[in-house]
Amino acid sequence: MASESTRVNVPGAVSGNGWHDQDHVPGIKSELLELNMGPQHPATHGVLRLLLQTDGEIVYKVTPVLGYLHRCAEKIAEGVNYKQWVVYTDRFDYLAPMCCNHAYVTAVEKLMGQEVPERAEHIRVAVAELSRIASHLIALATFGLDMGAWTPLLYCFREREEILNLLERISGGRMLYNYMIPGGVRYDVPNDNWVADVLDFVDLMEHNKLPEYNTLLTYNKIFIERTADVGVIDAATALDYGCTGPVLRGSGVDFDCRRDDPYSVYHKFDWQVQVGRGEMGTLGDCWDRYIVRAREIEQSCRLIRQALQQLPEGSYQALALKAIVKAPAGAAYTRVESAKGELGHYIISDGGQTAFRNKVRSPSFCNLQVVEKVGVGQMVSDLVALVGSLDIVLGEIDR
Amino acid sequence: MEQNAIYELLAGVLGDGALGYNEHALEPWADVAPARIAEACRFLRDDPRLGFDQLMCLSGLDWDGFDETGKGKSTAILGYTDDGKPETSDRVGTGELGVAYHLYSHALRHKFTLRVRVPRDAATVPTVGGVWSTAQWHEREAWDLLGITFAGHPDLRRMLLDDEWVGHPLRKDYVMPDTWSGVPLQGQPYCANPFPVETGGPDQPAGDQPAEG
Repeated sequence: MASESTRVNVPGAVSGNGWHDQDHVPGIKSELLELNMGPQHPATHGVLRLLLQTDGEIVYKVTPVLGYLHRCAEKIAEGVNYKQWVVYTDRFDYLAPMCCNHAYVTAVEKLMGQEVPERAEHIRVAVAELSRIASHLIALATFGLDMGAWTPLLYCFREREEILNLLERISGGRMLYNYMIPGGVRYDVPNDNWVADVLDFVDLMEHNKLPEYNTLLTYNKIFIERTADVGVIDAATALDYGCTGPVLRGSGVDFDCRRDDPYSVYHKFDWQVQVGRGEMGTLGDCWDRYIVRAREIEQSCRLIRQALQQLPEGSYQALALKAIVKAPAGAAYTRVESAKGELGHYIISDGGQTAFRNKVRSPSFCNLQVVEKVGVGQMVSDLVALVGSLDIVLGEIDR
Repeated sequence: MEQNAIYELLAGVLGDGALGYNEHALEPWADVAPARIAEACRFLRDDPRLGFDQLMCLSGLDWDGFDETGKGKSTAILGYTDDGKPETSDRVGTGELGVAYHLYSHALRHKFTLRVRVPRDAATVPTVGGVWSTAQWHEREAWDLLGITFAGHPDLRRMLLDDEWVGHPLRKDYVMPDTWSGVPLQGQPYCANPFPVETGGPDQPAGDQPAEG
């Protein structure tokens, strides 16, 4: 029998087994309720199941159950050659497939020692950043939706549609592009004024649309009340749990692979890494993660503008590229900054056409784990805010 | 800090637990005795000269049939015969398993790679989940897909596969089962349509036939 003050217990300190036998309010018997959130639940952003133990509104334990989308892509990578596997990387983060393409081809090129023409790298940066904007737009929109704001969803999807149109014109696909190959990109920039249209779009995005979102959602008082001081992840926890991307930067850690572990041509451009500052509440709360994404859209616009304005002439594929790509024997871990965080590929080659082992370190997989710690002690509705602010995509968690 | 300087610090602490350093590889790595890996990781994280505060990636590996000569002739299950039996070479099923750890220090901006190798029939590695919490899920995944046991892990369950799944698919000698929960897994190794439609059956009435002439 616990003391009378058990109601204000620190939830994390309660051992799961002894809890059932305690009376939290004297005279009233209470016990933990097991609750399934998902796999078919709009707030879990895909087929994720969160197994909750709750006492009333308070969450005492969160156990994510994964694997509903599992297709063992890493096994498939051992059976198809390097070029053929690009198409599977599209299916990881299907909201930002260009970033996933970029991560994989960068890893293969490092293993091969393949040079990439400058023009191809500029095109890659432009399309990857367009993809990042599209992904962040979904993140803002669905996060608003989780918090009860319907309208921003329509606005964000309107702009995403423009990005999909632009990417369709360069790659032929609207959602899954299969656009990059080791040594370059599949197609050159189309002749139909594509560059000018993209530049028009980023101008519009930066100067018209982002202020619109800020008025609608970012500085909306209800939204701030709902997200500030909620789901606080401090920097030490974020590092311990391997959080990366906007989640890590939202906790105040100034790290971005594009700047600190440079790849491609990001070092040529002038832009800034955005970091959470705890403006509306505590550093590392849901609002900080939201605002990092919103400000990254602006930085992506700057990157696209520079990449396309400085687009060099030349080939969009390495000229010596063979039809069948072989990598010399060796192993390399390569990471890039995907829309969700650090997307790494650990490829072991035996010298042949296929990878001997291709381990994918997906950012959502690592970011989600922090829910097990930070979700404890929250209200169920705040858990929705926390999961929404992590911006997970189940395609790359389950792989 | 330079990679080989990091290894020298590590070897000074581990002694005979440090098995070697592969200096000339594309990405150098250190081989560590499996029993000492948690100790090595704790040292790498806590020493102020090293400060590895992030575990970037933890990968389970299966070295079975790996072609050491670098000619791309690694053997694994090459395909399936008509009656669904795997075509394997003699070497499959005997190689070692392993784990690779990729570390990064945010403060000092350097990386390091550790590897361990364990025999296939006694694949047990101490957990590093107490050093970096993120390792817990990576280790669950490695156990799920490769069958590497992590001693001391608090919650070593299936992660991506179903709890009742048999076997570890990323092992090179894995053979896919014929059925799972009553669902036929035909067309190995990748699935074909498990419910083929018979032509001329009730789904295709005679009126749907294309007109001739």
